[in-house]
Amino acid sequence: MTTTIDGSASALEPLFAFLSYALIQAESAVYKIPGSHVIARYVKSSHQNDPGRTVLEILLALFAIRTLLQSRTRADNGEKHFIQFSEKEVDELVDEWTPEPLGAPLTPEEQSDLASVPVVSGANGPRPKLANTGKQVLNLASYNFTGLAGNETINVRAIETLRKYGVGSCDVHMDLERDIADFLGTEASILYSQGFSTIPCVISAFAKRGDIIVADRGVNFAIQKGLQISRSTVRWFDHNDLKSLEDVLLSVEKERRKRRGTSSQDDSLSPRVSLRKDGAMVDLPELIELKHKYKYRLILDESISFGTVGRTGRGLTELYNVPATQIDMIVGSVANGLNSSGGFCAGSRIVVDHQRINGTSFVFSAAVPALLAVSASEGINILRNTPSILSTLQENVRAIRAVLDRVEAITIPSHAASPIIHIHLRSSAPAASVSAKPSNPATPAPREAPSFDIVGEERLLQDIVDEALAQGVWTTRARRLRGQELVDARPSIRLAVTAALSRKECERAAGVIKAAVVKVLAKRK
Amino acid sequence: MPSPIALTSPPRQDSIFKKRSPSYLTAMRSAQSYLIALSEADARARVRDSASVTSTPALSLSSSATTLSEDTVLNDTPYDNSDGLAYPTVPPTSEHIVSADHLQFGFCPNENYRYKSAHKPGTKLEVHEQDPPYYIFLTTYMSYLLLICMGHIRDFFGKRFYPALFRHLLPFDGYAPLNSDFDSFYTRRFKTRIDDCFSAPVTGVPGRTINLLDRESKDYYHTFSLTGTTTRALNISSYNYLGFAQAQGGCADAVEECLRRYGVSTCGARLEGGTSELHVTGEALVASFLGQEDALISSMGFATNSTIIPALLSRGSLLISDEYNHASIRFGARLSGANVRTFKHNNMKSLESLLREVISQGQPKTHRPWKTILLVVEGLYSMEGTLVDLPTILELKKKYKFNLFVDEAHSIGALGPHGRGVADYFGVNPRSIDILMGTFTKSFGAAGGYVAGSKALIDRLRLRGHGGTYAESIAPPVMVQILASMASIMGVALPTSSAVEVAQQHPGPAHPSQLPAWMDLPPTLRDGSEGRMRLRRLAFNSRYLSRGLAKLGFITFGHTDSPIVPLVLFNLGKMCVFHRMMRARKTPIVVVVVSYPATPLVTSRVRFCVSASHTKEDIDTILRACDEIGDVLDLKLLPGERWPLERIMNNAAELVNTDD
Repeated sequence: MTTTIDGSASALEPLFAFLSYALIQAESAVYKIPGSHVIARYVKSSHQNDPGRTVLEILLALFAIRTLLQSRTRADNGEKHFIQFSEKEVDELVDEWTPEPLGAPLTPEEQSDLASVPVVSGANGPRPKLANTGKQVLNLASYNFTGLAGNETINVRAIETLRKYGVGSCDVHMDLERDIADFLGTEASILYSQGFSTIPCVISAFAKRGDIIVADRGVNFAIQKGLQISRSTVRWFDHNDLKSLEDVLLSVEKERRKRRGTSSQDDSLSPRVSLRKDGAMVDLPELIELKHKYKYRLILDESISFGTVGRTGRGLTELYNVPATQIDMIVGSVANGLNSSGGFCAGSRIVVDHQRINGTSFVFSAAVPALLAVSASEGINILRNTPSILSTLQENVRAIRAVLDRVEAITIPSHAASPIIHIHLRSSAPAASVSAKPSNPATPAPREAPSFDIVGEERLLQDIVDEALAQGVWTTRARRLRGQELVDARPSIRLAVTAALSRKECERAAGVIKAAVVKVLAKRK
Repeated sequence: MPSPIALTSPPRQDSIFKKRSPSYLTAMRSAQSYLIALSEADARARVRDSASVTSTPALSLSSSATTLSEDTVLNDTPYDNSDGLAYPTVPPTSEHIVSADHLQFGFCPNENYRYKSAHKPGTKLEVHEQDPPYYIFLTTYMSYLLLICMGHIRDFFGKRFYPALFRHLLPFDGYAPLNSDFDSFYTRRFKTRIDDCFSAPVTGVPGRTINLLDRESKDYYHTFSLTGTTTRALNISSYNYLGFAQAQGGCADAVEECLRRYGVSTCGARLEGGTSELHVTGEALVASFLGQEDALISSMGFATNSTIIPALLSRGSLLISDEYNHASIRFGARLSGANVRTFKHNNMKSLESLLREVISQGQPKTHRPWKTILLVVEGLYSMEGTLVDLPTILELKKKYKFNLFVDEAHSIGALGPHGRGVADYFGVNPRSIDILMGTFTKSFGAAGGYVAGSKALIDRLRLRGHGGTYAESIAPPVMVQILASMASIMGVALPTSSAVEVAQQHPGPAHPSQLPAWMDLPPTLRDGSEGRMRLRRLAFNSRYLSRGLAKLGFITFGHTDSPIVPLVLFNLGKMCVFHRMMRARKTPIVVVVVSYPATPLVTSRVRFCVSASHTKEDIDTILRACDEIGDVLDLKLLPGERWPLERIMNNAAELVNTDD
């Protein structure tokens, strides 16, 4: 028995020798690393003092390694809803699955909707020729408020720029940014390459999850998308109702005081002043007062009012004589106001520079083509030097309103000075009395859901538009993205008044629209 | 050698350059260049006589063949050629038709320097990604650590001693801070240190060369002021793949005519009074260029994705996205309300296992089957230079029945024997892809974007896409630039041919009815020969640069046919030094450097954007610059066979034409 033990021990001898040799080698190798002596001494003495500590440290090291190796993304497999399938079952499920077609073909109504869009042949302007009829019409549909379309100076400047810079985007929009800032009276401005895509990026550059945004219930679609992409908490106040705004601000204040510590770090107030949906305008001085009282930041969307409102087209700030520096961010459209392409955000230098790095569509997209930027600069120049354009525009607005305001069958919610005029059909039901019930700031739905027959009204309005077009006046139904917007707006006809038409022509156009309304509505009865 | 960080003068030239430079310079001083200068002076004198009568000689509708001398003449000072950029090394003879200014579109008549961009059927689409030695990773991480520590120390003292500079980050006067301290840390403490390498102001056409407005900073790059001087530099930083960014030539002439006829703007959204006949023509041409039924054009590339994807998907749909997809796709996906899952970049195994999982599991919690699954990939990834593995995806598509959306922002016009993008490159039927999306900013020298697909789908997007209702339509001059450049890639069929026949052959020429009747393209554009030349030159330049860099020992990412060649620098600090050294050379070169957050943390890189406007000599210049700087910055980390620079330059055609 002893022999066998001896035998096995002798058999293992070389192994032991190798192990001890390897140990010595490893030890000397470790000690060759500079500083290893210090660590070894530290480990030895700490183990002697407190063996429990060694165990703890080993555990800590293991934990650290595990944390480092762990996948950083949350695996969905770990969720409790995951069902384990065998490969064969997965194959069967894959075979069974039939997707819906990506885009269903258009319904006949949608097709006629699409076909009803007139195509301009040649240059667009106050009196364009339409491709489908070949007739010249008076244009109250396109955005050409100050009549810059077809301006000879602008065209010449655009050609000069083309010969210098080509068509592709190029970094020459710095001049336009400076011109816009000077025009509005802000420190700086930043240019985006599409008007519609400007405000979602401005909002998401400043507001993040956990921030609070207070917004008007009537904000336009671009702002709605901005609110959605920012993932902020949104509180809504009634459209153009500053009393309701103050209530909401108070309730937000209360909410915040309740859970101080987790309070939001950035609050913005984003009422729309875009005149798009119904052409209403906010009372800016009062809004500014509220802003100072409750210490909010204000984003003002002037995508329609810039270039169309105020003595020289500087927008709401000029109309109400408020310095533009009082507003943190003014967002406007170069496309609508200056007949070019793009959008801008004007404000303090810090606000603008922040967007140069954090404005998604600024960073990840090409700039406006040079010739369009130069055209816009020239547009500002023209507005500056000829204040008569804006007074002509106002006269034209008044001329059209004078006719349309007297038409029984329609209502116009737009501000009297607004160059965008929306026409609603007067509803047969009596107007709902304003109830005292306060609205819920957490939802965008208005207090009293208005009732109207979208399909029916749209059809009637389209008939009016078609009738007016047959008489030589081009207007358009306000197009909406039904189903994608937060609240479905009431169908309307949208007129965009322009300074490029004479007063006579405006009166004639308004007369044609009036006759079309009367004719179409009479047919219905 | 002086410290490259404190670099102000051009770096010392190494021996290779010295050996080369005498011949290089004598070539320029040769009799031929003297003749060019002479003919210019002559032309200038002639034009002065006639120009004294009219005040605006610039606005002429001359044919493109004469524009070279004309443009040169209109510049008051003759080109100074000390940087070697103004004149071709081999000057044109009377046989060559020079259609462009050498500064905007390089003159490169050698037919050997052409290549046809196409995928070899049967070969695997593989990328060899080479990892650098470990010490590179270690030093990169250490440099980040150091910068983070320094940043926090500076923030700590800055907030106490210079509170005015930090006002927007701290609560002030009862207002909440404008943005959070943490969010802007990277910008303030990393980017600002090397801000001279970003968004340099330029002037003129960003063609083969570009004019940089010189600027200086006295406060460590917080603010810059222009010095008033300009530097001309070789431009390998613009997405000008086919070199259509030109201020002269047939395209620019067509745009000028358009400005006279249509003005600058169409005044409104497509559905609300802003549709021009040019839009209708343009959409038909784009559809036939791509081989799809119909197309929709939007005025901004980013917005094409961010406004179309929400119109395609809704709750109950799933969007599967490559992890490196562009921000606009993620923006659109977030707005759509659909579920989003990502798979590993270009990894088909990861994609297939994800597909199996999502189809078998169905919607989260409810396990109902998905309404639709949309796979969104890019044709060419702009940060990686990788091409999508389209053949494999189409195989998966047959099995798993998902819909496919290919974003061709970078690949359209740049890839494929006919320039029609990845489908053309791989030789697959474009209609097997449900939605093709792309932009006009890059290859076409214009702006805006398109989506193309079946007629029913595009009509639906016309109504449901946000742009049609709310965004301004594309401007006429931009639209015409697209029409002209696209037609010159396609070539225009003879007016006698039948429109139906022309429409049926894809990829074929455009039919004259698909262009505005007034558009008069010069013959070289009309017959498609110039477009073909541009495609071949781009393909050659791309392959030459990427293979040349590899032979020099640089680690590059992506496929060799990609016009974007990312050269990996790894260390953050090398990025700005590389940029400064390139710019400070005798022939200045502008490059784009990118780092985190656009790339993973450890792989900061420089991105060369090759163009058809570059000549073979331009690529040589870049290779030589990289060769010298690579030695200084320890960038040649690729194991394997290396060639000396001379050998690469002398065997360029052979290098490009060999298969992998």
